[in-house]
Amino acid sequence: MKHADIKAAAEALFNEQRNPFGIGSETHHAVTIPDAVRRCRWIAVDINASAFGLYFVSPSPERARLVPSFDSDYPATAVATKFIAGANGEEMVRHSGTSTAPRWWADDGIAGSDTVFQNLAWAERAAPLAPGTNGIAFPVHADRGHCGLVVFLGSTIALLEDMLYEIHARCFSLFAAVARIRPSDASRMRSISKRELECLKLTANGNTSEEIARLLKLSVHTANQYLTQSTQKLNAVNRNQAVAKALRLGLIE
Amino acid sequence: MSSSAALLQSDTLGSRLASRGDLTSFFMQLAAEIGADSYMLVAIVHDQDRNDARIVSSNWIFDAIELIGKRLIAGLAQGPLTVAPGIRPKPLVAAEAPDAGGLLTGEEARLLDVLGHAEVYSLRLNVGRQRLFALFSAAEAGKIDQPALMKAQLKCCYALSTIPQLVAAAAMQDPLSDRERECLFWVSEGKTTDEVAVILGVSSNTVNSYITHAIQKFAASNRAMAIATAIRSGII
Repeated sequence: MKHADIKAAAEALFNEQRNPFGIGSETHHAVTIPDAVRRCRWIAVDINASAFGLYFVSPSPERARLVPSFDSDYPATAVATKFIAGANGEEMVRHSGTSTAPRWWADDGIAGSDTVFQNLAWAERAAPLAPGTNGIAFPVHADRGHCGLVVFLGSTIALLEDMLYEIHARCFSLFAAVARIRPSDASRMRSISKRELECLKLTANGNTSEEIARLLKLSVHTANQYLTQSTQKLNAVNRNQAVAKALRLGLIE
Repeated sequence: MSSSAALLQSDTLGSRLASRGDLTSFFMQLAAEIGADSYMLVAIVHDQDRNDARIVSSNWIFDAIELIGKRLIAGLAQGPLTVAPGIRPKPLVAAEAPDAGGLLTGEEARLLDVLGHAEVYSLRLNVGRQRLFALFSAAEAGKIDQPALMKAQLKCCYALSTIPQLVAAAAMQDPLSDRERECLFWVSEGKTTDEVAVILGVSSNTVNSYITHAIQKFAASNRAMAIATAIRSGII
């Protein structure tokens, strides 16, 4: 257990550096992708899966699809991921919008594969996400509307109902950690001033520039300037996008 | 055999909830399994600038809900003690509450204790994109089994996933139509009305009317606020 303690301490330290605003809760540490891959591999080992992958559901309602974050071939991309992120994943994306129930599929070519999953309460059978293997997909959610899928593949997956809840819980916590990784945005976060964030937050609450100026005892010109600056720093084209970006990044609540 | 007895039996094999009655017996059974005396399933609804608790199902006595007040319940559900699946939950212990980050006043804490909620756990439930909260409480602190509670949290998510219509109606977090949601999403990506019109292949007037409807449905005062509300509730 000593190793685990050291790891936890290192993660905590890392989290502190990653989240200068203290957004991170103490249990959903932001990690690096290699860390996340390792954590996912531990889950895979526990259910005897040979491959895994973590995907985000892209927020675009136009054509919701799965965007790969990593899979068991990290840093390369596994063949299975190409199937999952392609057309095979579309039905699963729809499913995860309304349900949190895990979905499994069994390949006919593998003897007795149905029985592995059939005893799982609540889990549903679905069309295969990747051909030639058994698999199970766990819908996961994190703060600020992040939605995703953790998938395990393998012909020898073994999963008892009692373990299902724990495995899914671990997928949730892993996904929450991955959803916090925002390497390219971390530096921008720091450069946005407290005042600029205040103005953005008030904009998100429906206030106009005039109202913000009155509330913060600034001139309208200054309030507008803060908003323009924060929009630029967030690399947004207008205020609406700046508000959306700041919320999605967790800069404002 | 009564229907609740049938549900108790079939639960070990997993089951579908069909009605509010099923929902109640599911939660009663789950509460018994984890050592809780009471449960409450709550949706948080955004009403103007404050959040209100909408109680979907509960076995709290009516007076307790009245006395504690929905504002306090909403505060509990959205407070720092509420955990997502996969995080070890921490209880609100009424006896220690005034120290617990100023969540309750001493009087409110005493009231909770007297009403049989000496410890309260607050769990976030994800049912697809909808979000609900489950409060489990016991008359004595330390009675609720934590590992069982963590499993129960996922079980709640699964069970509620079988009744998406009921959950959506209760949570009312997504009042938008598909088109309205699409428009709002593109506006949140910084697109102007004209650009959204091109993307969706409709006229600018139509786009504006979709967005106006979305703003009205959220009781927002402008686009930025509608976007913020939609993102906060995970709709876009």
